[in-house]
Amino acid sequence: MTISGLGPHGERAAPPERVTLLPEDKAAANARGFRVAVVLHTLESDWARQQLSGIVGILGDCGTAVTHVIDCGFSPSAQVKALDGLLAQRPDAVISLPVANQEVALAHARLAEAGIKLVLLDNAPTGLLPGTHYGTLVSADNFGLGLIAAEGLSPYLPQGSEVGLLGYAADFFATNEREIAFTQWMQTRRPDVILRQDAFGRIDEATRRTEAMLAAHPDLAGLFVVWDTPALKAAEVLRSHPLPIPMATVDLGEEAAIGLAQGTPFAIIAAQQPYLQGVAAAQTTILTLLGRLTPAWIALPGIAVTRANVVESFQRIWRNPAPQSVLKAVGLID
Amino acid sequence: MAQDLIEISGLARGKGRPRVAETAAPSLVELLNLIRADDPTTRQELERKSELGRAVVSDRLTMLADLGLIDESELGTATGGRAPRLVRLAAKQGRVLVATLDQSALGVGVADLSGKLLTEHHEAFELTAPPQALAERLTTLLRWSLERQTSPEGLWGISLSVPGTVPGSAGDFLTRTPAVLPAWEGFPLVEMLTRSFAAPVWMRSSVDTMTMGELHGGAGQGLGSMLFIKIGRRIGAGIVSDGRLFRGAQGATGLIGALPVHLGDRAGTLDAMAGSDMILREGRLAAETGRSAFLADHLRRGGEITAIDVAQAAQMGDAACVEILTTSGRLIGQVVATLTNTLNPELIVLSGSIVQTNDIILAAVREAVYGASHPLVTRDLRIVRSQMGSSAGLVGAARVGAELLFTPEFLKDWVMQGSPLKHPGFAAFRAGLDLAPPPPAPSPPPSRGMR
Repeated sequence: MTISGLGPHGERAAPPERVTLLPEDKAAANARGFRVAVVLHTLESDWARQQLSGIVGILGDCGTAVTHVIDCGFSPSAQVKALDGLLAQRPDAVISLPVANQEVALAHARLAEAGIKLVLLDNAPTGLLPGTHYGTLVSADNFGLGLIAAEGLSPYLPQGSEVGLLGYAADFFATNEREIAFTQWMQTRRPDVILRQDAFGRIDEATRRTEAMLAAHPDLAGLFVVWDTPALKAAEVLRSHPLPIPMATVDLGEEAAIGLAQGTPFAIIAAQQPYLQGVAAAQTTILTLLGRLTPAWIALPGIAVTRANVVESFQRIWRNPAPQSVLKAVGLID
Repeated sequence: MAQDLIEISGLARGKGRPRVAETAAPSLVELLNLIRADDPTTRQELERKSELGRAVVSDRLTMLADLGLIDESELGTATGGRAPRLVRLAAKQGRVLVATLDQSALGVGVADLSGKLLTEHHEAFELTAPPQALAERLTTLLRWSLERQTSPEGLWGISLSVPGTVPGSAGDFLTRTPAVLPAWEGFPLVEMLTRSFAAPVWMRSSVDTMTMGELHGGAGQGLGSMLFIKIGRRIGAGIVSDGRLFRGAQGATGLIGALPVHLGDRAGTLDAMAGSDMILREGRLAAETGRSAFLADHLRRGGEITAIDVAQAAQMGDAACVEILTTSGRLIGQVVATLTNTLNPELIVLSGSIVQTNDIILAAVREAVYGASHPLVTRDLRIVRSQMGSSAGLVGAARVGAELLFTPEFLKDWVMQGSPLKHPGFAAFRAGLDLAPPPPAPSPPPSRGMR
């Protein structure tokens, strides 16, 4: 396993194998009958659904009830309200994806103060410490995902061309890492390429920001958007552009996979493994509840997906057959 | 009124009594530091602690508020009469950029004026790279961090944590780059950062900043005495006494890695006998000879062994790696026991990537310290592993930056102007840099003009 990035506190990554559950762990958890709440940024994306599936399945194996599944709709205030509401419900543990940095840090800290175990997904707000406020952060190697996107997009960028980077305006560990890594790779490996950057605050702004970027830089030769849901909005804009503009993004959602298989506009997708990440998060939660030592940061490597390996990558990531439209687009069925 | 006083202060002084603005600076400095030390406080508390009259305190607080340095918008809890108005440092008035430069990683962040870290990022970077490459990456990341801030507050300073002793104990901002590393000899890192960001630069050793970080943001919060041990290629100690970092005469305290230790018939410095170079060397040997099944397998698969791999293998139960780390921990523990008997700390914090990967070094140090210390010294002693990782360096650098901005010697020369960027000495330094030929410029940062 190669992990390129460092954790939110500069930690070196531990592999997910570090939280493998032994039969005696499962037996102990089953005997205790824990209650766990899951607080996600959204439940609307393929990524979130797969992650939840991994979490719920493993917790079920361990006799642990998932009592709440909360969709924060990317809203820091909704997340603070949800977490404060959970204080009264007193679950044994909360698995949470903090949707922002400073705005949600104290609400997460209040869970720890109340004795509720906390496992974080993808983001650790500044000031929260492993072992003090939360047990473990489970995330993809987001720095590595940004490097995969840059390296995969590079062959499509002519010498001296311009490349766009559409980032996320929120201060969020995962997207920050992808953005920094993409920029670093371009600056060191393709210094001839000129970076044009912009950011969206909400997903529905991605269309407008892409249009603005194209208007300001009509010669754009490629675009990286930090995850797939806003990337689909950007792709709609690029499809109406007179010249093809290849794109890179993160997460192999179904629609992005179809776009990749069709060869336009997606050229490369740096994929996370959300189901396995959910599994690792649930295993970590069980070990934390049993009082076992867990690493501060568990990271799962990214997968470089191109048109050439989109079918097997889809199967590997989603544990489902690739959609018919993907199979047709790559010529595996008529 | 404060604005009038500031403007008056710029005029040539005549004979007679000094003007109010000229005598106000010492009391402004004193009050501002009382507010920082006891944030939030009240006017009554400030009158009591400063022993200044009510009218003087009221006047100075008005001046500080007009300069944007304090905030009195919040009410405290009433204890009978009217609720007192709380006096706080306006921590959001300015920002401090912070960075940690470690042997194999670079960390950057942004803090407010109270020293609270607001955001951070860490990435792998080999410090053996040419200093120009380091300066370019550091500049890019610092600029990126600053641009991520949505609020428009200005940058007031840059505080760096570096892997070596920074000579000198004064709080002055740097006007040239100390040769912390041999490769930095003659390289104008400080000058380049001052030019790029137009803000004063401070520098402290990583042991100093991490100790400060642990004291103010980690396990040492609220304690008066603490021993902080950083374990990496070099092994260093940070000493906290009476709630303050002890820096010695030259800022060169805690260099315990240079102490001689013995293991059987072998002798060497603690750095050489117990640091991460030893762990790596012994780990590789264990892999090549097959003594470590875990590392031998890693090697067969084409993996390159690092000291972290040895530590992770030990945590997973590999006997040869457990032995390597136990040896390291015992040697470190012998030296730490001596310090413990000398200083009688309430808390010992072990830090560094290898320590954080497993509990074996922690256990070995505990065994050595408890076995070799006076019972009174160990009666209430706690020995823990840092939970902060490299964040300790950033939190500490933020704290160092915030403290140095407000040291009385520095503050008295800028408080009347409301910003350290208008400090006469710093303004003169910047003007001199502008006149000097420019150093080789780092690559331009990525354009974020549309943001």
